[in-house]
Amino acid sequence: MSAALEARGVALSFGETPALRGADLIVETGEIVAVMGPSGSGKSTLLHCLAGILVPDAGEIHALGRRIDNLNEAERSELRRDRFGFVFQFGQLVPELTAEENVALPLLLGGVRREPALRRAREWFGRLGIDGLERRRSGELSGGQAQRVALARGLVGEPAVLFADEPTGALDSFTGEQVMDLLVDSARRQGATVVLVTHEARVAAYADREIMVRDGRVTSPAVAS
Amino acid sequence: MIRLGLRLAVTGGRAAIARLALVGGAVALGVALLLAVFAGINAVQSQNLRYAWLNSAVTEAATGTEAADAAGWALREDYFAGRRMARVDVAVTGPDSPVPPGMTRLPAPGEYYVSPALASLLASTPADQLGDRFPGRQVGVIGDAGLASPDSLIAVVGRTPQEVAGIIGATKITRIVSVSPQDCSGCYVGVGSDGITLILSVVAAALLFPLLMFIGTATRLAAARREQRFAAMRLVGATPRQITLIATVESTLAAAAGTLLGFALFPLLRLGLDRITFTGERFFLGDLSLTWFNVLLVGAGVPLGAAVAARAALRRVRITPLGVARRVTPRPPRAWRLLPVAAGLCELAWFIDRRPRTTNGQTEAYLGGIFLTMIGLVVAGPYLTMAGSRVLARLARRPATLIAGRRLADDPRAGFRAVSGLMLALFVTSVATGVITSIVAYRGETPVGTATYDNLSIGWYPDHGGKLPAADTPIPAGLTTTPGVRDVLVVRYQGIVGNLPTGAIGCADLTRHPDLGQCPPGAQVGAVYADLSRPDFGSDVYEASPMTLAQLPSLPVNSFVVLTDGSRAALEHSRTLLESTFPDGRFPSTENEWRSDFARTLVQFQRLADVVIVASLVIAGCSLAVSLAGGINERKRPFALLRLTGVRLAELRRVITLESAVPLLAVSAVAIAAGFTAAALFLRSQLDYDLKPPGLSYYVLVGLGLAVSLGLIASTMPLLRRVTGPQQARND
Amino acid sequence: MSVPLTLLGLLERQPSHGYDLKRDYDLWFGHGRALPFGQVYSTLARLARDGKVVMDEVTPGEGPERKRYVITDRGATEVDTWLTEPVAPEPHQQTVLFAKVVLALMLDRPAEEYLDTQRRAHLARMRELTEAKRTGGLVEGLLADHGLFHLEADLRWIDTTSARLDALRAQVKP
Repeated sequence: MSAALEARGVALSFGETPALRGADLIVETGEIVAVMGPSGSGKSTLLHCLAGILVPDAGEIHALGRRIDNLNEAERSELRRDRFGFVFQFGQLVPELTAEENVALPLLLGGVRREPALRRAREWFGRLGIDGLERRRSGELSGGQAQRVALARGLVGEPAVLFADEPTGALDSFTGEQVMDLLVDSARRQGATVVLVTHEARVAAYADREIMVRDGRVTSPAVAS
Repeated sequence: MIRLGLRLAVTGGRAAIARLALVGGAVALGVALLLAVFAGINAVQSQNLRYAWLNSAVTEAATGTEAADAAGWALREDYFAGRRMARVDVAVTGPDSPVPPGMTRLPAPGEYYVSPALASLLASTPADQLGDRFPGRQVGVIGDAGLASPDSLIAVVGRTPQEVAGIIGATKITRIVSVSPQDCSGCYVGVGSDGITLILSVVAAALLFPLLMFIGTATRLAAARREQRFAAMRLVGATPRQITLIATVESTLAAAAGTLLGFALFPLLRLGLDRITFTGERFFLGDLSLTWFNVLLVGAGVPLGAAVAARAALRRVRITPLGVARRVTPRPPRAWRLLPVAAGLCELAWFIDRRPRTTNGQTEAYLGGIFLTMIGLVVAGPYLTMAGSRVLARLARRPATLIAGRRLADDPRAGFRAVSGLMLALFVTSVATGVITSIVAYRGETPVGTATYDNLSIGWYPDHGGKLPAADTPIPAGLTTTPGVRDVLVVRYQGIVGNLPTGAIGCADLTRHPDLGQCPPGAQVGAVYADLSRPDFGSDVYEASPMTLAQLPSLPVNSFVVLTDGSRAALEHSRTLLESTFPDGRFPSTENEWRSDFARTLVQFQRLADVVIVASLVIAGCSLAVSLAGGINERKRPFALLRLTGVRLAELRRVITLESAVPLLAVSAVAIAAGFTAAALFLRSQLDYDLKPPGLSYYVLVGLGLAVSLGLIASTMPLLRRVTGPQQARND
Repeated sequence: MSVPLTLLGLLERQPSHGYDLKRDYDLWFGHGRALPFGQVYSTLARLARDGKVVMDEVTPGEGPERKRYVITDRGATEVDTWLTEPVAPEPHQQTVLFAKVVLALMLDRPAEEYLDTQRRAHLARMRELTEAKRTGGLVEGLLADHGLFHLEADLRWIDTTSARLDALRAQVKP
């Protein structure tokens, strides 16, 4: 196995407040890794750095065989669009668009024409058990439905890495498990690497292994044992 | 991507639609205004060009076709009922004479052409008041091509070559001048189009500025939601360029729609515009038109400008994939923000005693200073707002005061934005009112009851080519007996004696009319100006003349001064009589007529200033309303939660009121002070006048403006109640 | 898990042979720990002695399983009481772990590491259970959930304790 993601001594501060103080991590290709830690430990910031959303103040980040912390904003955007998928806690769907347009959004942004993009998006509604909701707006979806739409959007581009930040955080435990089941199944079927940030042990139990982030550092094994 | 942008723009919910509509509306107003200004500038230039042929005496400027037979030509200024009239006496010498525009031929002796406006006056006025001035009969009407304005009073009178040659200022011409007076140095008939273009530009800027502020306010409507939406798109990989493109599509859509609407509004504005007589004469509606260049410039430039502005705005609020959650509190505004205002006022102060010589230099100096002050106020606004909020927080006793104070102190820019338009409006109002009130106070329209301004005088000035009538020239028969004529005085020409005026009159004549200036005690003969006018300020007493009473009857006549009751019949009858008796010299006029040009211009400016004031107040009010409503909408959740936790609605109302009223009052005070200071400095520098306190209408206007603003603040209260209902507190 | 009460409960469905009872018990409640026949019969004997079950009839000539057990009114009452009354809310304190943590702190040993090791062990077990749940049926899933929720509760205790280790150290080592 080769590393899909690697962080070396990543440090990042928000103003005076340090969020990461030298985090190291290796995620192998195809692995599902849960990033755990108490609130404020820096686990979300670590995910944001790994995904090229934030740029670390120090340290290096390698993703899919290339260094990404020195890419510019547009290059990182393209990386996110073409190689990564995202499922966040909430507020990630564009309210003005229908569910299928939301799912097709990464494809549209990537230059896929409207019709083929929507066709590919619609395939996911059946796979994730949300068929019939294609034309709904995000305001008309329940929390679980919205999260499945978000999952579909995260996977529609067949990403190499799926980043999930508290994907079940706004859901009850039953609905949350359904979403997690779908997430893990789909990711495995696509062979996608998954980085899953959660503070819930039961969500982390879906992963192959977990790493602990505390005070901006990775404390439990950063490498698969 | 553009399709996606369009899709987002039109499905963005009510707030986005409102934003589109408001921006579009403001752009429409701005576009209509810009078009009106362009049309106005074009009209001024067209009108000026229409004056060209009246300058035909300036033969070296003539470019038209050469006629074989030179024509006699004498242009003089005449008046009727306070309106200026151009009279050209022409003499045909052969079949191929030069022909002015609007006519097919020059009138033969005994014939005359008149403009349509003069024709209708001739038809409705007794001949002894107007028609008798023109020898012969009317043979035609001058076509529009020969008129500066539909209201122009022009007479082209045919005379014999000998008659014309005797008229003061007569020449012979073979060509008609067709170049605009602004391109011809000797052509004095016309309007100062440069100055008027400049004034129009200033008016446009004074209106466009608040409009731009309004567009800025409207663009920020529901900005938080828009940023959230953009953040979501950035997360899934939209590049900054793509976000910019989408945002640009939205604002360009609004701007394009607004531009179309603006072009639709323009014809309406144009109908009103032809009634505003900046140049003193109404425009032909056809002259108020746009060139293709204007249309292209506005039609393509405004949407393009909007696109550029959207790009610039997004560059400032760079949207990260994580949205605005991690936004740090902006740095508080610093005291340097007061510098530009100070610089603007200092610039104006510097020009006291250093008035630039040229009109252009003056306009640049003064308008530059005033604009710098205006921009400075916008820059200083956030600092002033913060200063106000600090005072508020210090005085805080109630939670409402504390919340309002903290919020203002946290983001004074946002607090100021709501009232910025109003501040500008108040500044413009104060400057305009201060300047105009003072000018009117010093030399405005005729002071009521000054009978001397209605004295009609006809004078001869040897040093300007006039030939003095002989000493025994009688007062024209029937003049003294004309109804409404109180007396006719004869001023004799005493020649140049030291620095004294050239006229002389017996002191007894003056004593009979206490409203005239008087001789010094003991003098027999006073040294006077031909029209018996006095300086605007200073002594009512003339100096004594070295002439004796006995010498007077032997001196040539310098002028006849007809004292009238000011009635039109008396004035025009006397004038007609004098003109037919002395057909070769300058025509008689009254002091009022001399002054009326300036007075009329001033009235025009005052009216223009009123338009600017009212319009900018209205725009400012809209700005305030939009930003208040937007602010409440943006914060409905925190407010709803506060209400759930037991904060009474009255307390929230107090928060809203305080956080808009405090900046409102703080910046209003500063804007008014800066406005009057700028006005005072301008008056002192340009005219050496003192600032006069403004009239009642100013207080009414400012009071009304503030009252309407406070009313607008109050009017958002029902919105506050509605949007802070418990349903808003739920998580979604 | 009370074997006598569980057997009584199974009997309340219908009179059963001892063999059926054992099979049902193993199916629903055994999970890797089959109930020995001996224990079934000794328990049933004790229940009969206490008058909670009776032997219904003896069908001759049909192999060793001729006795069918029937619940009595007394037995049924006991089952009813057991089901209705809540289980004493015993705090499932990790007494052993707690003792380890306290001792480690007293002896200046790395208590945090012990907790981390324990967390990993718990999470590893939770992963197994999650996998079992994902691959198994409803019953396995519900059983796995039961374990998962308990393990999760333990983990929360572990998290809270690691967050308070410094305070605890101050108390045990004044």
